[in-house]
Amino acid sequence: MSLWVDKYRPTSLAKLDYHKDQANQLRNLVQCGDFPHLLVYGPSGAGKKTRIMCVLRELYGAGVEKLRIEHQSVTAPSKKKIEINTIASNYHLEVNPGDAGNSDRVVIQELIKTVAQSQQIQSSTQREFKVVLLTEVDRLTKDAQHALRRTMEKYMATCRLVLCCNSTSKVIAPIRSRCLAVRVPLPSVEEVCSVLTGVCRKEGLLLPPELAKQIAEKSGRNLRRALLMCEACRVQQYPFSADQDIPETDWEVYLRETANAIVSQQSPQRLMEVRTRLYELLTHCIPPEIIIKGLVTELLGNCDGHLKAEVAQMAAYYEHRLQLGSKAIYHLEAFVAKFMAIYKKFMEDGLDNFMF
Amino acid sequence: IMSQLFLGGKASSGKLNSWVEPSFGDLFGSSGLNSLPLAKAPLSGGNKSRAQPSGVDVGGKKPRKRKGALQAAKPVFPPRRQDSQEPQDEPWVQVYAPQLQAELAVHKKKVEEVEKWLRVHLDLNHGGAVLLLTGPSGCGKTATVHVLARDLGCQIQEWSNPVTTSEYRTDDSFRQTFDPDSRFNSFHWTSQTGAFQEFLLRANKYDRLPMRGDGQAQDRKLILVEDFPNQFYRQPGCLHDTLRRFARTGRRPLVFVVSDSLSGDSSSRLLFPKEVQEELGIRTISSPSHGASWYATLSASCEMTRCCRAVVVVFSDPEKAVLEQLCAGSSGDIRSAINSLQFSSFAEHSLEKGAWASKKGKSAASAARVPARPKGGNRSTRSAEVLDDSPAIGGKDTSLFLFRALGKILYCKREAYEGCEVPKLPSHLSVHQRDRMIVDPEVITHKQTCRSHMSGEFFSLYLHQNYPDFFSDMDDVARASEYLSDADFLTAEWSSRPTMSEYGSSVATRGLIYSNSARAQATSQSHVGFKPLHKPHWLHINKTYRENYLAAQSLFISFCLTPVSLMTELVPYLAQLSNPMRNQAQIAFIQDVGHLSLRRFPGRLKLEALGDKEPGGLDLDGESDDAGTQTTGQGTRTLPSSSQEPGADFPSSQPQPTTADALLDEEDILIEEYDSD
Amino acid sequence: MQAFLKGSTQSVKPQRDKAAASTSGEKKQKPVPWVEKYRPKCVNEVAFQEEVVAVLKKSLEGADLPNLLFYGPPGTGKTSTILAAARELYGPELYRQRVLELNASDERGIQVIREKVKNFAQLTVAGTRPDGKACPPFKIIILDEADSMTNPAQAALRRTMEKESRTTRFCLICNYISRIIEPLTSRCSKFRFKPLANEVQQERLLEICEKESLKYTKEGIDALVKVSEGDLRKAITLLQSAARLSAEKEVTESIVTETAAVVPPKVIENLLQTCYKGTFEKLEIAVKNIIDEGYAATQVLSQLHDIIIEERLSDKQKSAITEKMAVVDKCLVDGADEYLQLLGLCAVIMQQATQSN
Repeated sequence: MSLWVDKYRPTSLAKLDYHKDQANQLRNLVQCGDFPHLLVYGPSGAGKKTRIMCVLRELYGAGVEKLRIEHQSVTAPSKKKIEINTIASNYHLEVNPGDAGNSDRVVIQELIKTVAQSQQIQSSTQREFKVVLLTEVDRLTKDAQHALRRTMEKYMATCRLVLCCNSTSKVIAPIRSRCLAVRVPLPSVEEVCSVLTGVCRKEGLLLPPELAKQIAEKSGRNLRRALLMCEACRVQQYPFSADQDIPETDWEVYLRETANAIVSQQSPQRLMEVRTRLYELLTHCIPPEIIIKGLVTELLGNCDGHLKAEVAQMAAYYEHRLQLGSKAIYHLEAFVAKFMAIYKKFMEDGLDNFMF
Repeated sequence: IMSQLFLGGKASSGKLNSWVEPSFGDLFGSSGLNSLPLAKAPLSGGNKSRAQPSGVDVGGKKPRKRKGALQAAKPVFPPRRQDSQEPQDEPWVQVYAPQLQAELAVHKKKVEEVEKWLRVHLDLNHGGAVLLLTGPSGCGKTATVHVLARDLGCQIQEWSNPVTTSEYRTDDSFRQTFDPDSRFNSFHWTSQTGAFQEFLLRANKYDRLPMRGDGQAQDRKLILVEDFPNQFYRQPGCLHDTLRRFARTGRRPLVFVVSDSLSGDSSSRLLFPKEVQEELGIRTISSPSHGASWYATLSASCEMTRCCRAVVVVFSDPEKAVLEQLCAGSSGDIRSAINSLQFSSFAEHSLEKGAWASKKGKSAASAARVPARPKGGNRSTRSAEVLDDSPAIGGKDTSLFLFRALGKILYCKREAYEGCEVPKLPSHLSVHQRDRMIVDPEVITHKQTCRSHMSGEFFSLYLHQNYPDFFSDMDDVARASEYLSDADFLTAEWSSRPTMSEYGSSVATRGLIYSNSARAQATSQSHVGFKPLHKPHWLHINKTYRENYLAAQSLFISFCLTPVSLMTELVPYLAQLSNPMRNQAQIAFIQDVGHLSLRRFPGRLKLEALGDKEPGGLDLDGESDDAGTQTTGQGTRTLPSSSQEPGADFPSSQPQPTTADALLDEEDILIEEYDSD
Repeated sequence: MQAFLKGSTQSVKPQRDKAAASTSGEKKQKPVPWVEKYRPKCVNEVAFQEEVVAVLKKSLEGADLPNLLFYGPPGTGKTSTILAAARELYGPELYRQRVLELNASDERGIQVIREKVKNFAQLTVAGTRPDGKACPPFKIIILDEADSMTNPAQAALRRTMEKESRTTRFCLICNYISRIIEPLTSRCSKFRFKPLANEVQQERLLEICEKESLKYTKEGIDALVKVSEGDLRKAITLLQSAARLSAEKEVTESIVTETAAVVPPKVIENLLQTCYKGTFEKLEIAVKNIIDEGYAATQVLSQLHDIIIEERLSDKQKSAITEKMAVVDKCLVDGADEYLQLLGLCAVIMQQATQSN
């Protein structure tokens, strides 16, 4: 029994539930025979991967769904062996080059070279090229991106790249200009609702529209999250009721409590407690940037106008440092401390005004 | 233990022989086992000043290196003379190795755990059981195995990497004597793996041949692997394949001993990734390190005194203070401590004969080890330094240890300017007015860096861990934290880090001192009172983060998700779904990482008090490993079969430390922690 | 090195040949990027760069050619110009022997300059073509994207340039002349390539549309011209992509904006209005929406910038906002979170805008 997310994932362009115009355009693209490199971007949970797999299926037929996990090892010029996991079918190869860390340049070059040089197994598929799917391209080092642009041209004859990322901001311009950019926005709340209802119907469940709407809103239009939430609801209680609590993940609850702890008291001792909580979140692999974003969202709710702007500035400032620095906790904590300081001042001023 | 270790090595060489001449080899092996513990090392060239440094160095590195050499260089039957004409020729690590369980300086729970496993798997012949012992170096992993094997009356077959020194091969007689070895020798590392495979599989195959006069004891064997062919570090896959074959065909328990290190990709993780552990049912037991302060008082001292007792007979009694320094300097690495002890007492005696030059040569030699083996090497160098300085102890600056350095920054003592030389700031800036600092922070950090090889960044970590206790005003804390953030930002670029790190620590220390406005004036500094200092958590947290991150990716690769959505969406929700499509390792991971119990929070992170005698920096790894066993419930993480209830790690009887109050109970909690483990 | 050379001769040049072949219509239609297909084939076809065209024409008539340095924004025809000129000079046969093209983003360290360039430059050549026509007695080395060459490599080049001036002409091509070291620039005649005027671009695009028998709307082409900002290559690539996506239908404005990854002006306008009028809560939602729609923050930033400059704000307000924009841009390049950065920027705009009222 697999998760609903996987079980009801559409497998062809025609079956996609939303952004149907785009699906049609993609089909046109496949049919015109002249397939360019693609750059698929959009927020997490919008269905980028699903869409890409549908395109691949349109290109090659059902063969692309026979996936196997392979461990590849690539030898860097420095004789260092880099192990990397890939997912491959006969027609395509999926890699997350971010796994290779700083050696991503070598990994990409070598893998694409191997793919490009190996012959297509069945010529009956009338495609002269294979596809290399690179996920999380925005995490690639600049070095690797520059190498990629040359590689793209060099192996154009036998290999097409599909790049997948959350945002094109971190993709260098030469790569962007060499690819056909496909933006995949998040589905609207209504679209999420209809997908949820559809999935529940296939499961033989009755999903009240109110609950569907709630889930869709709570998931922030992230379809993957919505489906997981819906399935968790199912585990929690069935038959569904319209006003049932939607299960949240532990870390979200924990993060909210942390934000409450920050708002309820501002002192060095409390800062220490908050630090412990931040550590706890980190050991559970919640990335620091997610933590700071979550905190901002929660904290902003407790501020009024002018303060909000200031908090937003601070968050942007420290999140940036977090990306560059090596010890996330310094920056997370500096953010919290700073917030505590200005919030405390704000509260005291408010109190003073109240007194007079 | 050394005789045992050493005989273990020999037994294995015997085994190697035994493939060719089984009865002969076994005879040898058994006789070796029953021989007296005080075997004399054959390498003794006689000349003290030459034998000695090699003893220290080799011992400091790892006895097994030596074994490799012995195996190749020695005649088959070593002169097993009982009397020690010059006992210091042999490293004390070997001479005073523990012989009994009681003598082991390993936590007894851990010993019991290993013993239980051995008992179960020695007697039953259900195929290749594998045990993985991990822990920081020198915490007694190998010693445990040897002592237990002795107690259980079983023989150890040990693998050691064949040496590939070519000068041996030129020796014809040698080649004849050591046919199997020389065959290994002539192979390159690529075939080391082959040899290793052969070793494992052969050790299995033949050990059940009926041996003349062997009896019960002889029938019980275990295979010990401490040294891995280099190839396995490059391609762990080879090892896994070998292990899979072993698991199918093996009959003997196989014990791996792997040292942990701080560097994230610890070899145990590399060699034995979670899914392989899961697949082969490898049992993992991690020995805790002794880095924690309690160890220094309990185990180390008992170990030390035992050594001392023996030493006292031969030499004069080393100073008590020296011993304490040794304990501190080695931070839980017994082997290193004993080596240092031997070195020091040797220096006291034989060097009186005017051999100062050779002493210098030795410190140089041990210093030269540093790059080769940073951890162990550093320690011995350090302790050697301490000893060199020991007459000068009590002098003014020599004992500026971490504790005091931190204190100087955090308490930031100031003195009032005298008379009218006061440089006044204009009134609108008067909030920034500070009195003169008594000490220069750069001097402190510099000394810290020199004395304990602790980089400015580590020092900043210590500061970061402790600074909020010294502040009372929120604005000050905010400012201080910003300075720390700045400091990290300065050192962000790795290419410029060597240059920037000094500035970084300068910004951190000065920033902290400056921002504490409550202590701006000499007069306002009256009483802060004693505040306990703690070791930083960050290293451990960061390590766990990376490990979990990697584990998640390897366990859930079939979901094809990006790591972020994996960790923030899939795993947490899987924790809420009762989906049966998971294997054991995944379930354990989900239980551990996907759940974030709100009740468990105060107990998870233990503050570890920092003593004023501790050198700090060097035991960071020990400390973080230690914390690893404390906080993450190692059992739950790596070992699905023995996974505990999440609540079980922290019995309700245990006091829930709420910051300051609980700090006094720290010692008790730590010890209880191990008991409950 | 070797690999690179092989790569370039195998992949780049045959493609160009194919391009020539397919336009003459004798081979089976193989999909070729239109950028290649409609690359100017002779110097005369080069659009909008009269100055350099004049110099090259003279050289075609027999005058000596100086060392060249072409600089200017991407897509203005730098590479096309020199390629076309070389082709005219040497004809198809000699072309391969006489022209060395070192392409972008390759290993072009000092070693390459020393060995490859030197070796190539050292061969002397005759002044006639096999077909009897006269051709200049020198070879051409084209260094594309010379601004990405390391400084030592550039330094090595200057000596080579002087030594081989008898037999070889260099053509350096770069976007930013400031990244070329002074000694090199002084050895070359510099030509600045201007961004193409809108009319010229439009003319070219319409020409291509006609040849490809594409359906299009006037707005679609206008949008293309606007989006490409004088970069003809970008315009043509976008046109081809849009054509592929829309298949039989016409190329419309919306499909152009989508393929160009441009944020629709309406979205930007809404965001700005929220900054001016709305509350912070609404701003949060607006920014969240932009991110959820998948628009790239850098794109939003640059479009916002264009608008802000035109807005009716005081100079002081504008400078405060643009300063923040510079910071945000840097942060985004460093990989900071887009939502937080955009929110920070919008907060500043809001602050500035409300201050005046």
